[in-house]
Amino acid sequence: MPAEIVAAITDIELMKASQIGMKGIAAALAVGLTGLGTGVAEMAIGSAAVGATAENKDIFGLALLFTVIPETIVIFGLVVALLVLFS
Amino acid sequence: MAEMRAGPAPYIYVCTRMRVRKSKLLPKEEYLRMLNMSLPEITRSIEELEYKREIDELSASFHGIDLIEIALSWNLAKEYQAIIAITPGTLKAFTQAYLRRWDIQNILTILRGKRQGLKPGKIKEILIPAGELDRVFLDRLLIEDSPERIVEALKGKKLYPVVVKEFPAAVQSNSLSHMENELYKDFYQNLISDANAMKGGKLFLNYIRLDIDITNIKNLFRLRMDTFEEDAREMMIPGGTFTVEELQKLHSIPDQNEFIDALMARVRVKTLLAVLDTLRGDKPIREIEIDLIRVQIEQMEKMAKLNPFSIHPILVYLEKKKYEVFNLRAIARGKESKLPTDRIKGYLVM
Repeated sequence: MPAEIVAAITDIELMKASQIGMKGIAAALAVGLTGLGTGVAEMAIGSAAVGATAENKDIFGLALLFTVIPETIVIFGLVVALLVLFS
Repeated sequence: MAEMRAGPAPYIYVCTRMRVRKSKLLPKEEYLRMLNMSLPEITRSIEELEYKREIDELSASFHGIDLIEIALSWNLAKEYQAIIAITPGTLKAFTQAYLRRWDIQNILTILRGKRQGLKPGKIKEILIPAGELDRVFLDRLLIEDSPERIVEALKGKKLYPVVVKEFPAAVQSNSLSHMENELYKDFYQNLISDANAMKGGKLFLNYIRLDIDITNIKNLFRLRMDTFEEDAREMMIPGGTFTVEELQKLHSIPDQNEFIDALMARVRVKTLLAVLDTLRGDKPIREIEIDLIRVQIEQMEKMAKLNPFSIHPILVYLEKKKYEVFNLRAIARGKESKLPTDRIKGYLVM
């Protein structure tokens, strides 16, 4: 095989590998950053929820529901990551 | 916001707890309902509220009005101590500093009670051990025979320097009022220096200024009700929006309308302006004081909304709880003395 063709194939393979790498980084960022966002949001809601539940145990269910609402952000991140990786 | 080494979570936790507790305080309708009840009915009604544990605990030793009064005081002290236990960082220091005013009240109550020859048990009934001096320490003071020994026992406490300085003069003049003024002045000066020294003290300082202003305005109105002329400087607390000289100038205005106009020219708080405008007539001092207390609480609530995770929501709850206890006590005392309902209503902060 001529040397030029070998070089071209190597370039294409490198590019493909790089694309897979970039996809991995994108997916990691999508999940990681949304996870951080969720954490920050849940910190305030969670501490308020624990405070409110400490005073009135009847609202535990509602407080828990409010605390997990920011989970949607990380779920969006996960969906985007899956789309990036498998589409 | 105050210092936040562990992030804002502990502040949010405590402030939410205070808000929930505040929402459990008695609404106006409940006081109005209680006004139509007899004393045993009021006791039963209080027992169904947050005061159940204290009423149950004390019902074997006390009954009637004494039971209500002591249960209310115990509950207030317990509540305040519980709040100190859950507040984090600088908020704890601010809350403790704020609650030191109860030490002044307790010491003065003990000294006055001793001078009038009351039994320690009787004095103990009206003490509210919510400050730095706890129940055990106050019990130790109560069994002391002479006031001098009580003063000595205070050695090492924050109050001691002022008490030891002012007490001989108080004994000579047979009145504790000057010492009381000096203790409160010292208390506010300490609050201001604590607020300045600690990170996040600016918000606490806003509250202290409001408290000093309202107290000074209340004192000005009280002095006007007295017929004798007096130098107002002695009664006024420095550190607020008004200087002591300004307050003296206001005090020296003889006409009530002119006095209120001069006061309104210096005040910026809108709710206070509106209330001052209504005080032009011949209102009894008690009503004026309650109007001013209401303005203070309203203003504090505004501050708490502006700074939801600061010292303000805690202070609002502490103040409102205090007035709930005062109201219940006023209703119970009023009913015991068979006062007309309207008269009792005039003493309530609703």
